[in-house]
Amino acid sequence: MSMQMTVSFKNQLEEIERLGQIVTEFAQRHHWSSHLLFEVNVALEELLTNVISYAYEDNNEHDIILRLSFTDGEVTAELEDDGRPFNPLEAAEPDVNTPLEDRPVGGLGIYLARKFMTDMSYKRQEEKNLLILKKTVKEEH
Amino acid sequence: MEITKSKINDIVIFSLKGRMDTTTAPQMQDQLLVAIGSGEKRLAIDCAQLEYISSAGLRALLMAAKQLKNVNGKIVLYSLKAHIREVFDLAGFSAAFPLFNSQADALASFKS
Repeated sequence: MSMQMTVSFKNQLEEIERLGQIVTEFAQRHHWSSHLLFEVNVALEELLTNVISYAYEDNNEHDIILRLSFTDGEVTAELEDDGRPFNPLEAAEPDVNTPLEDRPVGGLGIYLARKFMTDMSYKRQEEKNLLILKKTVKEEH
Repeated sequence: MEITKSKINDIVIFSLKGRMDTTTAPQMQDQLLVAIGSGEKRLAIDCAQLEYISSAGLRALLMAAKQLKNVNGKIVLYSLKAHIREVFDLAGFSAAFPLFNSQADALASFKS
């Protein structure tokens, strides 16, 4: 059984609320556990926030496309934007063992997204960034 | 997200309800920094009804902790749900923030 959905977001932070609603509806339709929903929602929020906040040098409106699918116990999310080239997989990982007061304030978002997804890959094609995230669903008892 | 502020002795308690994400975390950060700016040094965050947190929420807490450090203050959290606790663990925040299972334990930690 395969389920797919495509949604378009504007490059405005208010869209993060709508992302939460859309992912929650998708999760309910496919009977995800609340834990799976939480981890996928956080990962997508972090990556979408990054695109909205840093991908665009102009002040124009842009469309960011999310394709979400759920097939044979695997969640696949593709995030596509027409912003400047940026590969989150090359972003420096924060040292989570550094004392709190010495921590830089940023850097945690991509780290959490990578922890919560099983696999992440990046492509730059036709002037667009394409991030492909996968999460294998474990049986929960 | 709903934020309810209360006070027990000299400890300011912020009770969070709902989702602390990119759009709502700045509200909490503002409230924490305003409290610290007005001289409050003992802050406790009630997470019993907090359903969601992303890095934006962690950042807001980190900003508050850094401000409190300058004035020898302290911020603690209590009653975190398991999946919220997981985010703290992954980010290394569990070692940095005192986390408690109950309000009583959290408030008692200010006495020592």
